[in-house]
Amino acid sequence: MAEDLVLDTAIRDWVLIPLTVVMILIGVLRYFVSKLMRSQQNPDAKVVREGQVVIRARNLRAGANFIPAKSFRARRAYFSNEENGLLHVPKGQGQNPQAQMFSDPNMAMDMMKKNLSMIIPQTLTFAWVNFFFSGFVAAKIPFPLTQRFRSMLQNGIDLSTVDVSYVSSRSWYFLNLFGLRGLFSLILGEENAMDDTQRMMQMSGFGMDPTKVQT
Amino acid sequence: MVTKTEEKQLNRLESQVDNGGGGAWEYLCLVRKLKVRRSVKVLKHGLWILNDSKKRSSLGPEEWTLYEQVAVAAMDCQSLDVAKDCVNVLQKKFPESKRVGRLEAMLLEAKGSWGEAEKAYSSLLEDNPFDQVVHKRRVALVKAQGNLSGAIDFLNKYLETFMADHDAWRELAEIYISLQMYKQAAFCYEELMLSQPTVPLYHLAYADVLYTLGGIENLLTAKKYYSITIDLTGGKNTRALFGICLCTSAIAQLSKGRNKEDKDSPDLQSLASAALEKEYKQRASDKLSALTLAFKTLKVSS
Repeated sequence: MAEDLVLDTAIRDWVLIPLTVVMILIGVLRYFVSKLMRSQQNPDAKVVREGQVVIRARNLRAGANFIPAKSFRARRAYFSNEENGLLHVPKGQGQNPQAQMFSDPNMAMDMMKKNLSMIIPQTLTFAWVNFFFSGFVAAKIPFPLTQRFRSMLQNGIDLSTVDVSYVSSRSWYFLNLFGLRGLFSLILGEENAMDDTQRMMQMSGFGMDPTKVQT
Repeated sequence: MVTKTEEKQLNRLESQVDNGGGGAWEYLCLVRKLKVRRSVKVLKHGLWILNDSKKRSSLGPEEWTLYEQVAVAAMDCQSLDVAKDCVNVLQKKFPESKRVGRLEAMLLEAKGSWGEAEKAYSSLLEDNPFDQVVHKRRVALVKAQGNLSGAIDFLNKYLETFMADHDAWRELAEIYISLQMYKQAAFCYEELMLSQPTVPLYHLAYADVLYTLGGIENLLTAKKYYSITIDLTGGKNTRALFGICLCTSAIAQLSKGRNKEDKDSPDLQSLASAALEKEYKQRASDKLSALTLAFKTLKVSS
């Protein structure tokens, strides 16, 4: 089944490019909306102090050779003393960072807001693509694929004889979704570069207890 | 600390602007980025930009940052009326701003009204207890009034929360030295060496403090730190070379009976004194005789 289908250039003009443009615009819009909606983060005294203590402890570890042995031992005891050391975490009390994230109400609200701002535009765009751009071949992937991908890439096309390389516009949508991340980090600056995929990976959770880590 | 390349670039820009070439705005931006204290130049060039309404409007929103920078420079040079004008302009533009409030408090401090400045800083800190700049201004205020122990108290409290701030540790060390509390100063210098081990200044100061404290252990450690300084500066630090000679002679004096330290000290001392003599010959040959006389009194072998 190696015939070459000739695709209308109108498909390129009216499907592929508008879809990309719309996704870029939606991404930029989301960025600005998230900037507006970000709540004022008041620094917590404990958090600030802990951050600074960690920096100081890291300096101690890094520069340990530069101070006399006695002072190093004194500082090490200051940090890791059994009763009142600054960094000492009694066994079993080390909190799972994820559990901490959920128990802090502010952070939970922030996470929810971020999740919502990710889910809603994705859902809307996906529905729009399905409604308007289904039922025809949109593009040809330049490399050959196995039959397994047919259900994934050729959703609206109900002909089983068409080569799997001819995909529907839904796959173009997914391609854009993952591929535009690089473009966004270029336009919008390093920080809020639409790390949807990263956040999706984070949500799969870490279940580590910090005290159980053997050093 | 500013690196050599940055300092060279800064000096080049400064001379360019002084001699009439353009680039005043780049110079001011670089000064702001590197946090260097060149208030006279900043004041001169900043005012030159600000007084010309065309150049001022070409800056756009950066104009207000420039006002702030010029206000601080004016306060540093004691041109209080210039500072007051800048602060008034900023106040009109940003009436409820904490940053402008900070500038007003600094103006009070520059004028010398200590009580009002203290009240202003305390109220700013109540609103935002994590404002590092206001904390440090409060310490400077207390220090300017001459109350060094109060400054120490404030600094210690500040460092309990922000213990990674090396500028604060440095200031504390200098205050301790001025009050002759050498042990505490040594602790501060140790903190500085931990966070910035490649800066020879801190090793040198630590060695000085140890030498002042005295005692054979401290002298031995001081000798090591003088050596580190020489290593880090490539042998050019005269003070460290002197430090080594003085340390070795003091150690020799203290350990007159026991002679277990003789492994490397004669070499080190002769090397140091030879290097010192060479430097004096190069740079200040008329003082060379005084140097040799000093060496003889210290019984330094050269």
